[in-house]
Order: sequence, then C-alpha cells, then structure tokens
Amino acid sequence: MSTFALAGGSFVREHLRARLTLAMLVLIPVFFVVIFASVLGQFAKALGGTMAGEATSAISAGWAAAFLCGALAFFQVSSSRGADRRLAAAGLGALHVALARIAAAIVLGIVVSAVAFLTLLVRSGIAHPAHAAAAILAFALVYVGVGALIGSLVAGPLEGSLLVVLVFAVDVFSGPSMTSSGGVLSYGPSRDAATLLIAAGTGHGSPGGDWLAVAASVLVALTVALGAFWLAARSRA
Amino acid sequence: MSARAWTATAMGFREQRRRPLLLILLVVVPAYVVTRSIAITEPTPRRIGLPGGGTVLTTMKELHGAIMAGTAIAFVAGLCGVFVMHAALAGDRRLVLAGFRPGEAVRARLVVLAVDAVLVVAVSLLVTALYFTPASWLRFAAAGVLIGLIYAPLGALLGAVLDKLSATYLMLFIVMTDIGIVQNPMFGDGTPGRLAPLLPAYGPTRVMVDGAYSAPFHATGPLLLSLAWTGALLLAVTLLLRRAVAAHG
Repeated sequence: MSTFALAGGSFVREHLRARLTLAMLVLIPVFFVVIFASVLGQFAKALGGTMAGEATSAISAGWAAAFLCGALAFFQVSSSRGADRRLAAAGLGALHVALARIAAAIVLGIVVSAVAFLTLLVRSGIAHPAHAAAAILAFALVYVGVGALIGSLVAGPLEGSLLVVLVFAVDVFSGPSMTSSGGVLSYGPSRDAATLLIAAGTGHGSPGGDWLAVAASVLVALTVALGAFWLAARSRA
Repeated sequence: MSARAWTATAMGFREQRRRPLLLILLVVVPAYVVTRSIAITEPTPRRIGLPGGGTVLTTMKELHGAIMAGTAIAFVAGLCGVFVMHAALAGDRRLVLAGFRPGEAVRARLVVLAVDAVLVVAVSLLVTALYFTPASWLRFAAAGVLIGLIYAPLGALLGAVLDKLSATYLMLFIVMTDIGIVQNPMFGDGTPGRLAPLLPAYGPTRVMVDGAYSAPFHATGPLLLSLAWTGALLLAVTLLLRRAVAAHG
C-alpha cells in the first residue's frame, strides 16, 4: 500500500474510531431528513418562502451533509496541524499530506451524503435520485472547503466552530426558496447546490448552466481546501 | 475567594481578552441569528398555548425572535461549555500541580463560562428588544439566563467525556431537537408535546413564553424545573471538573 493511501486511510479512521462521531455522522442526516424536514415546510412558510413537501426533505439532507462536513473539515485542519507537519517533515511532504487529508474529507463527505440520500430516498422517494445524490454531495464538498478555509485562518476550536455555525446560518437563512427577501446575502456558498437539490426534490431536471455552477463551486471549494490542508502541513521551521 | 482563585479567574479573563475573534463571534452569532430570523419572518397569525392552560393569538414573526434567541443562547453557551471544559482539562491540571486547589481552578473556569453565557444572553435579549416587547422583561430575561445556565454546563459535561467534533455535533443535535423542534410553539398545535418536559429546555422555554405573552405569572412549575436542571447540571460539572483536574494532581 502506498504511503499516500496509508495516510489517507489513517485520517479516515482517526474520525471513525470515535464511535459517537460515527454515530452522529449517521444520526444527524437521518434526524434532519426524517424529523426536521417534517416541520421545515411550516418554517419556510413562516419565512415567506415557497418551499414545501419533497423540497423541504431534500434541502434538509443537503444541510445535514453541509454542517457535518464543515465542522469535520475545520477540526481536521485545526486539530491536526502539529501531526501533519511532522508527517510532512518525516518525508511524506506537505502536498501529499494535504492530498491524503482531502481524500479523507471527500470519503467522509461521501459517507455522510450517502446516509442523507438513502434516508431521503426511503422517507419520501425522489423523482431525480441521481440529481439529488449529486447535489447532496456538492453540499458536503462545498462545506469541506468552508471548514478547511476557516481551519486555516482560525486556530481556536471555539472561534472556528462558531464561525462554521455563522457561515452555515447565513447560508440557511439566505437559501433559495427559504425566504422571499434577496440581496447580497442571498448568495451563500451552497446556493447552487440548493437550487439543484430543490429542483430534484420537486421532480424537475436542472439546466446545464445550473450543473456548471455547482461544478464550479465544488471545484473552488476543493481547491481552497487543498490549499488550506497544504498550508497547515507546511513546515514553518 | 482566595488570592489564588482571583488570579486564576483574572488569567481566564485575560485569555478571553487575547482572543478578540471569540468576543466578536459571541456577539455576532446570536445577534445575526436573532436579527435575521425576525427580519425575514412573515407576521402570519399563530395561536399558541401558554403555561396555565390559556392561549394567545400572536404572529410567527414575534414567536420566531423569542425562539431564536433561546436557540442561539443554548447553542453558543453549549459550545462555550464544550471548549472551556477542554481548555480546563488541558491547563488546569498543571495549575493543581503547581499548588492550586482543584476548587480554585474549577471556580475560575466556571466564572469565565458564566460570563460568556451572560454575554450571549445579553446580546440575544438586546437584539430581541429591538423588535419585540414581552409582557414581562424580568421573566423573559430570566428564561434566557436559565437557558444559558442549563446549556453551558451541559456543553461542559459533553466536553468532558467526548472529543471536540463529537461534542460539537451532539450539541447541535440536542439544541435543534430540544429548542428548535420539541419546545418550539411555531410547530404543531403551538403547545409542547407529552415528552417535552423530559428535555432540559422545557422549563425555561415555558417561562420565556409566559414572560412574553402573559402579564400574571403562571409558570411556577416550569421555573422550578428549570432551577432543578440548572442546579443539577452545575453541581455535576463542578464535581466532574474537580475530579478531572485533581486526578492528575
């Protein structure tokens, strides 16, 4: 097994070894989709949005994946700086450590997205399952970028987790169909993924432009995450 | 309070002061969440149940502000609890080794945690005051303080037994379930369900609803329940912290 694969596998195991973390990675998407979605329609209506029915279940799956992956990526960067620098200095190199970290984040993002998607499928069914799966994964990967960026800028765990919460709150409150108000704050990081997911939830396909926008936001997020992991692993000596 | 306890408390506040981003976020997060939720909510009519059996016709806009204030207080105070506990477990053992009594180190942490919680409560209530005037500010504010005093030690307990990521996830899960859904009069028939009293925010949320909409006080039971939760959690976190910092001393 290559050193890169060994490091990536270890980074995944690092999080899954804590049984409660593993349980939360499964329970929170189920909670969001099954329980939270049941009241989200009333919530969206109170906010003056138009979202209801299948769309609320779908968007809650995306939000669950987003928050879990954002917090996970933040703690990956902030808690592992010392170990990653030692790994890089020991011969793995900062770029390989960063690639292994991002591979682990993507694997965990896929796990979380798969749980959210399967819960959604079982609970309410979905007209465009492939579109919905891609959109939920996009939520997860965009927040890998958000969490890693915050982790590279903020060292304190309390400050960082509050910042992840703040970005998440801005994103949720300004999401498409959640509110009738627009403005600058209506362009949150997951906006394109949310547009795609709501369309899939309501049984509509999405035009090519929407797919391109989602692909671009994921690409930007993963590039930012790679940079953040690389900066964290780079030796300051 | 002994000189050593004063020193530990002063050091705790100095540590907070050296983290300006934390202070900014303790203000910005609740302020944003409360302001934004009130600003974007439609004034749709909504009938809710009050403690004591009465009902009142209000609007989703008014309700949302009060509920989001409680949610923001619980989540931010809970996260403060998680990470203050982690910092205490890392640093306070050394203080005990250096000659501090466990109680002195613990008291300093709890004072810092309480001040963080009070700051979050104050910001949430100030922002709420811009949009909503409750029937009784005293009861409404007391309910906010009780939510902070319940969730801050609850977060500290989670921080003592879980790693940072698990504790953060669990905090989100508990707050969303408890205040966000189960106690939330915006959903269902506007009255908490049968199982609601089992969760920690039942008491303070009912006191908050009572303070928001009822001139006479009808929430003696929920107030006593809140005080019981507060006392039990503060006692549990004090004992746990003392044991944790002393065990390695």
